[in-house]
Amino acid sequence: MSTNPKRAHRERAAAKPQAVESVADMTLQTVAGAMIAIGVIAFASALIRGAAAIAWEAYLVNLLFFLGVAQGGVVASAAFYLTQAKWGGSTLYRLGEAFAPFLWVGFFLFFGLYFGRSAIFPWVTHPIAQKAAWLNTPFLFARDGIGLGVMAAASFAFIRVSRGDDARAWTIATDDIELPPHSIRVLAPLVAVLFAVVYTLISFDLVMSLAPVWRSTLFGWYFFAGAFWSALTAMALTAVVLRARLGENNLFTNPIVMHDFGKMVFAFSVFWVYLVFAQYIVIWYGDLPVETFFIVQRVHHMPWSPLSVACLALIWLIPFTALMSVRAKKRPLILGSVAGLGLVGMWLERYVLVVPSLSLDAIPFGLTQFLISIAFLGAFLISAVPGLNRVAQAATSGEPFGDGAE
Amino acid sequence: MAAAPKIPIEPSYRDIDRSVLRIMEPASMAYWAWIGFCFTLVAIAAGFWLRQIYSGLGVTGLQQPVMWAIYITNFVFWVGIAHSGTLISAILFLFRTKWRTAVYRAAETMTIFAVATAGLFPLIHLGRVWLFYWLLPYPNQRYLQPDFRSPLVWDAFAVSTYLTISSLFWTMGLIPDIANAREAATGWRKKFYTVLAMGWQGTDRQWRHYSMAYLLMAGLATPLVLSVHSVVSWDFAMAINPGWHSTIFAPYFVAGAIFSGVAMVITLLIPMRRLLGIEDLLTEWHFDNLAKVVLLTSLVVSYAYITEAFMTWYTGDPIEQMTFHMRYFGPWGWMYWVMVLCNCVIPLLLFSPRIRVNLRALWVITIFVNIGMWFERFVIIAGSLTANFEPSQWASYRPSVTEIMITIGSFAWFLGLFSLFSRFLPIISMTELKEGIVWLRKALKMDRVKAA
Amino acid sequence: MSTIAIISSFADDAQCAHAIEELRAAQVGDFNTFSPIPSHRIEHAIGRKKSPVRWIVLMGGISGILTGLAITIGTTYEWRLDAGGKPLLSWPPFIIICFELMVLFGGIFGFLGVLMLSGIPATEIAPGYNGRFGEDRFGIMVRCDEAEAARVESMMRESGAEEIVREGVQ
Repeated sequence: MSTNPKRAHRERAAAKPQAVESVADMTLQTVAGAMIAIGVIAFASALIRGAAAIAWEAYLVNLLFFLGVAQGGVVASAAFYLTQAKWGGSTLYRLGEAFAPFLWVGFFLFFGLYFGRSAIFPWVTHPIAQKAAWLNTPFLFARDGIGLGVMAAASFAFIRVSRGDDARAWTIATDDIELPPHSIRVLAPLVAVLFAVVYTLISFDLVMSLAPVWRSTLFGWYFFAGAFWSALTAMALTAVVLRARLGENNLFTNPIVMHDFGKMVFAFSVFWVYLVFAQYIVIWYGDLPVETFFIVQRVHHMPWSPLSVACLALIWLIPFTALMSVRAKKRPLILGSVAGLGLVGMWLERYVLVVPSLSLDAIPFGLTQFLISIAFLGAFLISAVPGLNRVAQAATSGEPFGDGAE
Repeated sequence: MAAAPKIPIEPSYRDIDRSVLRIMEPASMAYWAWIGFCFTLVAIAAGFWLRQIYSGLGVTGLQQPVMWAIYITNFVFWVGIAHSGTLISAILFLFRTKWRTAVYRAAETMTIFAVATAGLFPLIHLGRVWLFYWLLPYPNQRYLQPDFRSPLVWDAFAVSTYLTISSLFWTMGLIPDIANAREAATGWRKKFYTVLAMGWQGTDRQWRHYSMAYLLMAGLATPLVLSVHSVVSWDFAMAINPGWHSTIFAPYFVAGAIFSGVAMVITLLIPMRRLLGIEDLLTEWHFDNLAKVVLLTSLVVSYAYITEAFMTWYTGDPIEQMTFHMRYFGPWGWMYWVMVLCNCVIPLLLFSPRIRVNLRALWVITIFVNIGMWFERFVIIAGSLTANFEPSQWASYRPSVTEIMITIGSFAWFLGLFSLFSRFLPIISMTELKEGIVWLRKALKMDRVKAA
Repeated sequence: MSTIAIISSFADDAQCAHAIEELRAAQVGDFNTFSPIPSHRIEHAIGRKKSPVRWIVLMGGISGILTGLAITIGTTYEWRLDAGGKPLLSWPPFIIICFELMVLFGGIFGFLGVLMLSGIPATEIAPGYNGRFGEDRFGIMVRCDEAEAARVESMMRESGAEEIVREGVQ
């Protein structure tokens, strides 16, 4: 094997991997199904015994987190087309799109929130006259429902084109000057713009309105940037797991691919912490009670303070320090651990955003919430199976990748 | 192992050198007339500034509560323009973007002169300019120190750092190119380039250190770009004035900076391309990509406007709502709608691939963007101050001759310096073009195929 | 035996890199290269360790952070101004200053480091340097004994050297 790294990369790529058709077998599906079943039972039992609040809190947190990962993945694929990213061949695009089926699951589950609205939204039980034109049940569910629906429809229209022959041929063409096919050039920006708009709306309606007095113009951007990062991190984690499971010479064994995932997780984690700081410093400096209470509850007061610190560590500090060196980014064990911890961190962040508005003095996390979260994870995994199979096929197809740079 | 086949229409290293070095040949009378014109305007502006130093800030239109108006608008405008240069030269370098090479030197030069222009305005805004050094921390017998909890001090550090780092990055990139120019030059130019090139000879040892330092400086410049315009935005966001106190300011200002900056790059490059005869090296593809950046940042800026408008209504705060009502429908409301037209509506035309490569249309669009972004800064800065918490304090503001002439002078200063540079030092990076020659040939081929 | 310098010029960096690989394999004399662009192929063929500039930049960054802390904390203690009820040592503003100084010092140290390590400003022209090496030719200058000269020259010619010049060296 040549010592020139680029040439070695090409030689390795030329070595044919064994094709893998399916990555998830019945065990995964059964376990995921069981997770869902147990979670549903836990949820129902919580409702029956009168602990509706904790059930719906967990429901909302998980809905926000998993929708963010699923949608962020599609947006990542769109962003890769727009930046003409060829470093992962077509596999990269399949990976971003793998989580998409959860978008429809999430869409239906969103309407489930209707039944828990009095447990979640303070303005349902105590309407706020001045904001009633915006914060009222019919309008909120209509606009967010339409938003999520349009988002899912646009995402699937995009995915259908992305899976088509033209787009696939473009992703593996090593020529780095041709633009992607025309329909991609229309749908990818559409998906990206819709994501920013719809997820800003979702964050304002489902998170910010839980503390109806509070406001922060940056909140939407901050929320969807976090969602996007969680998707990139989920993709990196999936890449590390598949690398081990898919046999020799699959695309993920290439250190340059790992390096690029590491760079993305690193860079967007820094962007996230920049947004955290930007929001914090303005609120801190202004010291206006109507703004500060939200931050103080979560960052400066017990019992939430340690959780906020944990979020910062998991989402920024650990990825920043662990992934700084080039060598570390290429090591699957490091990248995988950082990614796993990062996903836990982002879930925790959604929790810390939502729950203190509903239950301030104690951290409500018990068996019920755990099982409900597991149920969502199971639903997410099951819906990702067909997509992951496609990723496995692409990663082991031995197709070319990279931009052919000399 | 044979050398790449040389086809006449595909440029070789030597062709690249010739095209770029040709720009640095002695210039025509028209060029010197232009330089003279620019620096005459600068001299006039300097005269007005001297008068202001002598008579005090009363010669401006500033009055309570509008104590920040045109000068600060210009400051933010020029710092914003500067950001795109670093985006193109440092951030796109890290992304390994191919089309960056032909434009980055011009963009980076624009950065240096834009920051230099911006840096004048805090000085111009000081009544007693000679006391500027009070901003710096130094031991003194009264134990007075700058207050590091003030955003103005953060600004001083951020903008100075930005000017220094941009200059160093720019200089580093210039050294190999000047060495190249030194070889081809004669007479006083040869001496000039020989001194500036500092003896660079392109040995392996030199390139090794250079490449690593370049990568690291690009890595340092990237977060710097984000931080500088964020710090500038915090000059306003730290206050509790409605219209200023908004958490979205930092990333919104950064996006706006890139927006106006890349638009200014396009505004400068299109005529430059024609005047200096470098159509071969700056192809339509470059402008296509630059235009896409303009479009993206325009969408971000529109998002910020809509979010702010929504949030104003949502908060239900009567003072905030009054401020924004004044912004949209007050005496200066026309500025707001000009701004929306220029920043949000007109750039939508860039969704069309044909318009993106129609250089005339693109040039007009970017001029509108710059007008819109200048008004945006003015609307935010001066507009928010005119109608604040206390109605009895509400007042308007009208710029005086001094402020207008200094503003015009600042544009002339910037354009004059940029024009001077473009004839005397390589305005396109020969080294990087040669590095990216494979891509350049593809881009030229596509360009010619489309033209045919 | 006197030392001579053989200067070969190549039109293509792949040829130059190949010649370097041969030279290293044959372990003949020492050499340096001239090139108009930083070529990865050539750098890889020469195979030296990564440049120490990164440590210089790191040192600069760390000293920037420390300077930032020193200035902000020092001056705040010098003049204990109560500004808006903010704590004397407020970390959010201090982080900004430390960050800016980290970048400033890192950049300045890096720039000076490059100059120092590259030996510029240089007042002498390296032997063998030719203007074309800044334009479009890649050059290798090999210093070796006269006995080896023929072997070196044939290695260069095989790799595709366009022009080979022999010069005596003291």
